[in-house]
Amino acid sequence: MPIIVNLDVMMAKRKISLNELSEKVDLTLSNLSILKTGKAKAIRFSTLEAICKALNCQPADILEYRDEN
Amino acid sequence: MSKTNNFVFTVLKIVSWLIFVGLCIEAGGLIVNFIFSLYKPEFVHNLYQKLDLSEIYNKSKWAFFGMYSFILFISILKAYLFYVVIKLVTKINLLKPFNNFVAQQIMQISYSTFLIGIISYVARQTAKNLQHHGYVVDNLNQFWEDSQAFILMAAVIYIIATIFKKGVEIQTENDLTV
Repeated sequence: MPIIVNLDVMMAKRKISLNELSEKVDLTLSNLSILKTGKAKAIRFSTLEAICKALNCQPADILEYRDEN
Repeated sequence: MSKTNNFVFTVLKIVSWLIFVGLCIEAGGLIVNFIFSLYKPEFVHNLYQKLDLSEIYNKSKWAFFGMYSFILFISILKAYLFYVVIKLVTKINLLKPFNNFVAQQIMQISYSTFLIGIISYVARQTAKNLQHHGYVVDNLNQFWEDSQAFILMAAVIYIIATIFKKGVEIQTENDLTV
């Protein structure tokens, strides 16, 4: 998929675990895992907002577009 | 899920099982008769449900085996159709019905129904043709009088299956939306 989710990179920079992040953004571990492993098909703005707030970053820090070709 | 829906679904399961058993008995009886007619032609005048095809057999064995093959194929396909229906009603989870298994089963039902309709139609036309050549085939019409209904049903089920497949896609996308 051309959209790459760099959630693990930001989590490592902010030194926050998956459990802590799931509590902060009010998302289940399984959903967060789906996002982290790149299996998600879509993300709600509300979720993106909550993650950016929790990790103190911009959407561009988490989402990256990479052309498959 | 309301209690009424559950009750209707349970009734549907029971009815499907009853019809399936009936169709299996019919198909089994026809298969046994077919095998008997190969080795003991005297049984041809008293087949399943008192069917008498001795006239066709005496006139032409090919016509007899051809028409009997149509009857056999249609009855086996009908039994298979209800087997798929039973598989579907047994395994479906009404709380989360939109999954690939259900979509596949509905598509399978559509294909089987279409096949039954087409073969019934071809058999009916073949029987009409044989009638023009002097064969008495009136007693065979009971096996393929509903061919058009099966084709119509197949078309409707195919549309439902296509809509269901779209539902599965939307469900999957919804499940993977965080």
